[in-house]
Amino acid sequence: MKTLVVGLGNPILGDDGVGWKVAEKIGQQLPHDQSITVDCLSLGGISLMEHLIGYDRTILIDAFASDEDLGSIHVMTLNDLPNYSAFHTSSAHDTSLQNAIEMGRSLGAHLPEDIMVVGIATQRIYDFSEELSPPVVAAIPQAVRIVLDLLKQNVMAR
Amino acid sequence: MQRISIDPITRLEGHGKIEIFLDEKGNVANSYFQVPELRGFERFVVGRPIEEMPLITNRICGVCPEAHNMAASKAADAVYKVDPPRAAKMLRELLYSAFYCTDHTTHFYALGGPDFVMGPDAPVAERNILGVIHKVGLETGGKVIQMRKYGHTVVEMIGGRKIHPCTSIPGGMTKGITEEQHTEIEAMGRWAIEFAQFSLKLFNDIVLGSKKYVDLILGDVYTHHTYYMGMVDENNKVNFYDGKVRVVDPYGKEFVKYAPKDYAEHIAEHVEPWTYLKFPYLKGVGWKGFVDGFDSGVYMTTPLSRLNVSDGMATPRAQEEYERFYSTLSGKPVHQRLATHWARLIELLYAAERWVELVTDSEITSPNIHAKPTQIPIEGIGMVEAPRGTLTHHYWTDERGIVTKANLIVGTTNNYAPIQMSTHKAAASLIKNGKVTEGLLNMVEMAFRAYDPCFGCATHSLPGQMPLEITIHDVDGNPVEVLKQFC
Repeated sequence: MKTLVVGLGNPILGDDGVGWKVAEKIGQQLPHDQSITVDCLSLGGISLMEHLIGYDRTILIDAFASDEDLGSIHVMTLNDLPNYSAFHTSSAHDTSLQNAIEMGRSLGAHLPEDIMVVGIATQRIYDFSEELSPPVVAAIPQAVRIVLDLLKQNVMAR
Repeated sequence: MQRISIDPITRLEGHGKIEIFLDEKGNVANSYFQVPELRGFERFVVGRPIEEMPLITNRICGVCPEAHNMAASKAADAVYKVDPPRAAKMLRELLYSAFYCTDHTTHFYALGGPDFVMGPDAPVAERNILGVIHKVGLETGGKVIQMRKYGHTVVEMIGGRKIHPCTSIPGGMTKGITEEQHTEIEAMGRWAIEFAQFSLKLFNDIVLGSKKYVDLILGDVYTHHTYYMGMVDENNKVNFYDGKVRVVDPYGKEFVKYAPKDYAEHIAEHVEPWTYLKFPYLKGVGWKGFVDGFDSGVYMTTPLSRLNVSDGMATPRAQEEYERFYSTLSGKPVHQRLATHWARLIELLYAAERWVELVTDSEITSPNIHAKPTQIPIEGIGMVEAPRGTLTHHYWTDERGIVTKANLIVGTTNNYAPIQMSTHKAAASLIKNGKVTEGLLNMVEMAFRAYDPCFGCATHSLPGQMPLEITIHDVDGNPVEVLKQFC
């Protein structure tokens, strides 16, 4: 089973870069496994879908805007996300990831059946910075553990 | 006063909304199209080396990183007062042409096209790229993905990696292309020409073949008489990568033509109290408000603008389409904003032809791709035509090339005033005596979709999807009806 782990976000827009930070840590901690690829992307919609082609399973790690406590973590399937989600899975310049995946499948592309989203709560981000806020930094280890656990389930499922 | 709020709830980085205020009779009194500005980009880049700008600025936005990469690269050349060798410029323009093909294709098939292929009244669930593919056939969907793949491949071959190119440095490029890549890029470019011709035929058959759509395009709702801006080459033909900025008046007569470095002499910015974004206008005409006409300094920069300011296209097939465009629409300039979708496809064909023209130039594989900077850096301006408008990067540095100040005018910012005017006009024409028609949401959306706006970029952030929410408030400000539409 080929698995892709993607950190989504903008690495120069403060807490929006948390997906990248989590993915980078996973890349460092993950035992060498040719079936798992870890990547960092600033994409949504069709462009993101194109990156998922050929994989059986995907875990997306992303910031989302929320009134909840900063750094709260939510784990859900892509189907649990509303199609107009506040996550990076949408793009103003094409379509939602859900639509893009449906399009890809209808064209015969092999796309993951299993797409999990690990979301980390942030506030709306309007300032450029490479720094994350302290509560979001504090959430990184737990987010990493969650993703590594999801990957273990992946191995067991094989 | 009744208040209607159209709120495109985008992703976490920002959102915009349209507030419409009605008068006592229930007709539109005022409307405001607001987008929040992300703060601190200019501050963020201060203290960093100028050669980092092409890499950092392409992180501003996930939609057209290549455009920011190009504008910043040209600005970095200018900061070091170095002129890249011809082969380096051609490599950059080749990459940029391939990017244009990807970007324009995506806009037509995923964003602008559904209104015409499915119809503006089609159910929301069908008015998207899935609906388009179901209607015109799976084969077309495959071509769209193929076109995008070829574009990505060329960007990666020349730019060193996907999406975010990293091979431009002050004075040129760090790497060229091999003979094998050259052959492959040429084959992909020839395919792109066929794809662009196919897309124009599709537009011709479905849109121009329908009286309903032609009437919609030519109707007054989506028409504004403004100045137009775009970059032209030495023959006044459209060019995306280099040239001079040409501005024509609402009658099509050249108003001014200037070198990119002189932009500040011609462009000023108007401030309104209700928005963080500024409204650029022509200094030589002056700000007269959100109004059409010869005396109003409002200008537009879009594919339609670029065609309006030019004397033609620099490639033969695109030139034929250019002539057909103006003869069909009764002369220059064309003021109907919805014609921008057609203009965009003509630009797609030009980009594909230019792609082949550049890759078949005998110098394209030349190893002479870098001129060493020898001057002390100080200040530089780089300009390109982004798919959605003229893009300007301006940097000041110290003598070590460390950025001390930056100013960016991005494509959509140029169009902020015209977009405001277009959404206002669409709303005003659809809301009469307090009645909000069912089609309001999509008709207002169509008004700004023609501009291919990238608020992510205009607000210096990644963009989000733009579902609209209209909340209609009664006289006391209580919401009485909420309409949602996710596109």
